[in-house]
Amino acid sequence: MIDKMKRWLPWAALIIALAFVPKIFGIYYMNFFITFAVFAVFSVSLNLLLGYTGLLSFGHAMYFGAGGYGTALALKYIWNLPLLPALSIGILSAVLLALIVCPLVVRVGGTAFAMMHMAFAQLLYVIALKSRFITGGEDGLANFRIPPFSIPGVVSFPLEGAPANFYYFAIIVLGASLWLMWFFTKTPFGQIQVGIRDNAKRIDYLGFKVTHAKAVVYIVSAAFAGVAGSVYAMFQNVVAPDGYLGLLVSFTPIINTMLGGIASFFGPVWGTAIYALIEEIIFRYTDRVELVIGIIFVLVIMYAPLGFSGLMLKLKFKWMMFKNKRMRQAA
Amino acid sequence: MDVTASMYAAQAIHGIAFGMVLFLIAAGLNVIFGMMGILNLAHGAFFMLAAYFCYSVVAMTGSFWAALLIAPVLTALVGVFVERFFIRKVQIMGAMGELILTLGVAMLILGGVKFFWGTENLPISVPPVLEGMVHIGALDYPIYRIFMIVLALVVLAIMTLLLYKTRLGKIVRAAVSDREMVNALGINVPLVFMFVFGIGVWMAGIGGVVIAPILTVFPGLADQVGMYAFIVVVTGGLGSLKGAFIVSIIFGLLSSFGIQFFSQLAPVLIVGFMAFVLAIKPHGLFGVKE
Amino acid sequence: MNNILETKKLYHDFDGLQVLFDVNLQIRKGECHAVIGPNGAGKTTLFNVITGTYKPSKGKVFFKGADVTGKSPCDLCRMGIGRSFQITTTFSRLTTFQNIRLGILSKKGVRFNFFTRVDKMEDITRETDELLRRINLIGERNFPVSALSYGKHRALEISLAMSTDPDLVLLDEFAAGMSRDETHNAVELIKKMTQGKTVVLIEHDMDVVFSLADRITVLHRGQILAVGTPQEIRQNQEVKDAYLGDLEVSAVC
Repeated sequence: MIDKMKRWLPWAALIIALAFVPKIFGIYYMNFFITFAVFAVFSVSLNLLLGYTGLLSFGHAMYFGAGGYGTALALKYIWNLPLLPALSIGILSAVLLALIVCPLVVRVGGTAFAMMHMAFAQLLYVIALKSRFITGGEDGLANFRIPPFSIPGVVSFPLEGAPANFYYFAIIVLGASLWLMWFFTKTPFGQIQVGIRDNAKRIDYLGFKVTHAKAVVYIVSAAFAGVAGSVYAMFQNVVAPDGYLGLLVSFTPIINTMLGGIASFFGPVWGTAIYALIEEIIFRYTDRVELVIGIIFVLVIMYAPLGFSGLMLKLKFKWMMFKNKRMRQAA
Repeated sequence: MDVTASMYAAQAIHGIAFGMVLFLIAAGLNVIFGMMGILNLAHGAFFMLAAYFCYSVVAMTGSFWAALLIAPVLTALVGVFVERFFIRKVQIMGAMGELILTLGVAMLILGGVKFFWGTENLPISVPPVLEGMVHIGALDYPIYRIFMIVLALVVLAIMTLLLYKTRLGKIVRAAVSDREMVNALGINVPLVFMFVFGIGVWMAGIGGVVIAPILTVFPGLADQVGMYAFIVVVTGGLGSLKGAFIVSIIFGLLSSFGIQFFSQLAPVLIVGFMAFVLAIKPHGLFGVKE
Repeated sequence: MNNILETKKLYHDFDGLQVLFDVNLQIRKGECHAVIGPNGAGKTTLFNVITGTYKPSKGKVFFKGADVTGKSPCDLCRMGIGRSFQITTTFSRLTTFQNIRLGILSKKGVRFNFFTRVDKMEDITRETDELLRRINLIGERNFPVSALSYGKHRALEISLAMSTDPDLVLLDEFAAGMSRDETHNAVELIKKMTQGKTVVLIEHDMDVVFSLADRITVLHRGQILAVGTPQEIRQNQEVKDAYLGDLEVSAVC
């Protein structure tokens, strides 16, 4: 009983802390937290592919963008659309796109997988840029209505112009997404996934269909990228090709994941936090984004390929070795 | 001959010249991938770096020819440095490590170029000898484009001879097929790989110098032309020179005629073509499975 | 039908290089059958064709009387074929327990399950632990397999092939690189684990072959040279010639 409480205590503390963020930090940092949550979910969804299945995608922005554009278009053209259907349409667009793409990409891995995604993402980017009559071209879509969060007959909170309310909405949706993804990695299917990463051939010989399993992970990953994109679209109240489909949007979750560590579930969350801090601090003094990103990539892959969580694990291990030695010396 | 015909001829020459330069860059990328199994995402950045070196050498010496000699070599040296101190270290991690590392190097070069040269368009003029038109039959052809085509062919010929007719080439190809065996024979495989990487980057460098007078030098070069080179290699098939050649020429013509007929759709066409080919053949037109 | 596995007129070539040539292999139900032959005889290729890594260029494979030519390794595993590899191919970043659990999950048909936590599936855990105990790896239960000793790692490789409880197990040079003791342990392990199963093994170590095999097939340059009991094979002149001939060639080289 006490053990159980001990396990839940940190989470309860975290939830309470998150609940009080708007009171403590004020509006500016609310934006910071929402952006953080969005990209944490986006990065974890990428890590389902990268860390858990061993597939590097240079075009995950596709699904972020699909979520964003799906929701934005729905809100623009469907009159009085409630909040949750708007979110669902975003997720569905991402899933639909993934259903189209996945038969083409699950056959391959490695370099071909990465490059195919770059190709498809670029195609989508160019299409969004050129089909001005639907997507608004370079300027994108903006100023669509943000529906209130309401349970009919019970409560209704406006989200437009109420950052604190939006913060709660975003935290709940994104928190739930994180929990679902975490659960997903803990299921028997999650085990097959890591098996594929380690040794796809053997998984085949153990009687699991590798391509089917890859396709499922792929669609799940796309769905959660869609959640992130959808929430972000409602948060910013604008979607545009550069911010949702550009190459840098595909790179951001890779940076976050590499920084935080691909080998752990929460690695990308740490990575998102670290990168957000880097952005907050370094980009006050310099606007040389490429140099900073380049240095991060090179340093991390060369000296800490398992990122922040890898380093922590190493430190923990060293600390344990040190303690053991001390104990042995004492004895 | 009427005006339309000569316009088409000039357009075709433009297309082929652009295609040949693309092929030069793509061939460099392909040599590296074919020999080392590394997809060098920094290739476009090296190409751009060469164009900047070219600008600086021209500014210092006033000679385009000096730049043509020096700039690609300087770029190749940077490439060798990157291979020796960075890429080699992450090779044990496999494709993912290499892709992310070379992406990082690409970003670093882009950032560095902006830092040292700024973001403006830097013009380089075509050397006087190569200005103007040449009359062949009833049509006019721009000399510089013809020069581009010839130069690309010469470089490719040298490359082919070097890799397929010399002892060095034999070692390189043997090193690729059986690394440990060649190592055991007392040949320094890492050195061979360094050399291959240098050659690949040098070819991109030549491309960068040649294209500089036409497009001027600016940081977007890596994205614009470098991206095309990637698309060429990926579509034509990683490691396949034949595929890269065919696709380069198609793209060259597509971009020169495409811009004329439907300027809006040219990029969509090219990227769409790539997506279409990859959807059917994930390893490219002439690629082999990894 | 007492042949569990049969190949009929099996041919395979790599880009024109003939590797298998009219191979008619017959494996009886319940026997332990060794495939031996000099290097490059096509033994591993034969395994690869049987287990679905390659499609044969000609010929057919029958398993339990059904034509399984060209079926995927995955389908064959579900039909009851397990296989181990010459080069250890375990899941390097998972623990011993997690490795075996993957096999148990497959055996139980737990594949696309997204609604239960695998750690809480007690029957799976229990069965995995049982198997670990039988193969003497319970002490290394939570070790990442990269930390296992060579012998233990190979034992895991073999056990992984048997974790799905197949009717037919193909073992590709399970004793390669093992010390005397390790080989002995592995032989005992295989004897214990394959009761009631049919086993086909590729092996170079003749002691191992003679201590395990009921019958032997000799493969030479892609063709079956002889089939028989260990005694018959020992006395077969052609087999001696094939081995000796190869020895001479390699001595000249």
